[in-house]
Amino acid sequence: MYLINLVDYTIDSPERDRCLNKLNFGLSQGDAFAIIADSPDRAHIFLKALAMLVKPVSGEFYFKDKKVDFSDYRNLLPCKKKIGYIASDAAMISNITVMENLLYMRCYFENSLSLSLDEKADNLCKIFSIHDKLNVRPGKLRSVDLRIAIAIREFSKSPDLLLLERPEDFIGHTNFDLFTEVLRDMVLTKLPVVFISYDKDFIEEFSNKKIFLKDGTWAVG
Amino acid sequence: MDYIAGYIGKRATSTANHILNLFAFTHRIFVLLFQRHREGGALVRRVTLEQVYFTCVQALPIIIPISLLFGSMLIIQFAKVSGQYDLGKTMVMLIVRELGPVVTALLVILRSATAVAIEISYMNVFHEIDALEMAGIDPMRIVCLPRLIGITSAILCLFIVFDLVSIIGGYLIVWSFTDIPMGDFMVQIGKAITGTDIAVGIIKAIFFGIAIAATCLKHGFSVKRLITDIPVSTSKAAAECFFYCLVINVFISILFYM
Repeated sequence: MYLINLVDYTIDSPERDRCLNKLNFGLSQGDAFAIIADSPDRAHIFLKALAMLVKPVSGEFYFKDKKVDFSDYRNLLPCKKKIGYIASDAAMISNITVMENLLYMRCYFENSLSLSLDEKADNLCKIFSIHDKLNVRPGKLRSVDLRIAIAIREFSKSPDLLLLERPEDFIGHTNFDLFTEVLRDMVLTKLPVVFISYDKDFIEEFSNKKIFLKDGTWAVG
Repeated sequence: MDYIAGYIGKRATSTANHILNLFAFTHRIFVLLFQRHREGGALVRRVTLEQVYFTCVQALPIIIPISLLFGSMLIIQFAKVSGQYDLGKTMVMLIVRELGPVVTALLVILRSATAVAIEISYMNVFHEIDALEMAGIDPMRIVCLPRLIGITSAILCLFIVFDLVSIIGGYLIVWSFTDIPMGDFMVQIGKAITGTDIAVGIIKAIFFGIAIAATCLKHGFSVKRLITDIPVSTSKAAAECFFYCLVINVFISILFYM
């Protein structure tokens, strides 16, 4: 069973670097794909496509063997919820505190405002030493702390798939070792991962497959 | 000539399209209002209360002095010609029926509607709406619905405050600081005001609230990528809101008083 299966998936854009042409891609439990692309934009758009953040012009997108209907954004929400997205355009809600951001999803789905961080999120906050920064708004954080908070939010939602864009730049060198340690534990549980990275060691350690994107076409290696 | 006709046709089509989109957008929020969801109710209530606080409670220090000034100014002007007109009736016609809802709407547009349009545009440009969706949360439910309810309730409350303060406060100011004869002003007001006046004021406030909230949210969501589109979209939203309020005001007045 594929977790994600793209069939003849096509994204059109006036910018050539942001097109994907009749892409076929299958992602199963335990897969760890490194994206190797001829342009960073194309790699990014592929990651966004997997996160269902762009709408294809043609082709089919299957999530857990169910065809995803892109005609209404509400159909995508239950699938998006299961995807951890740590990329350059991942954001936090700016008019609430970091703590509220970390709890937002649970507050919504558990329909309660009096929640505290669960064990996993609490541990991650301790590991990355951002406990003392939880009660400020994201705008007041240093960008490196903000990105760590985003990573914690995505890790702690227990995703079925993790999408990463240049984690070495996103997390920053100081915390990169901690990040890889946490990621290593998650990958050991056979969590599928798709990532873009320019760090050869990272690609070597975390990928067991590669997808090559060139001029909008693809090849899996 | 063809060029002008083409231009007019294109503008007319795009305006009609925009208005229909606005109606469709409002309809989608209204559908959410009547749907019962197990999730998110607590968050929706909190965001709604925050919106009422920002739009209504925080606006009180501005709307109270403005309504006092309006009330006393009108009483002074019309008290001079009170031989020709019934002062109470004139005040009810001007303040309760027309000026109250319009001035309240204008203040809400200036203070809150522009803020909402900017906030939503900002959330769109900086991918905060995407972040909500990636958490499986429907932005229409958590962003739009509370703002629609909050702004509409706030306008209703502010309209009541405006009417009361401008009539009672205006009267007290004129009575305290001038020698202008006003007769039994409060009795005249009591006789002049009817149930229809109060109902029309409430109806206007509700429609203004819906029009303002939906227009600002729609313009906020129309900004996709460029931060430079935010001021353009905000000014369009503010001008459009005021125009829609005036149209609704005239329409409701014609419906009830003609």
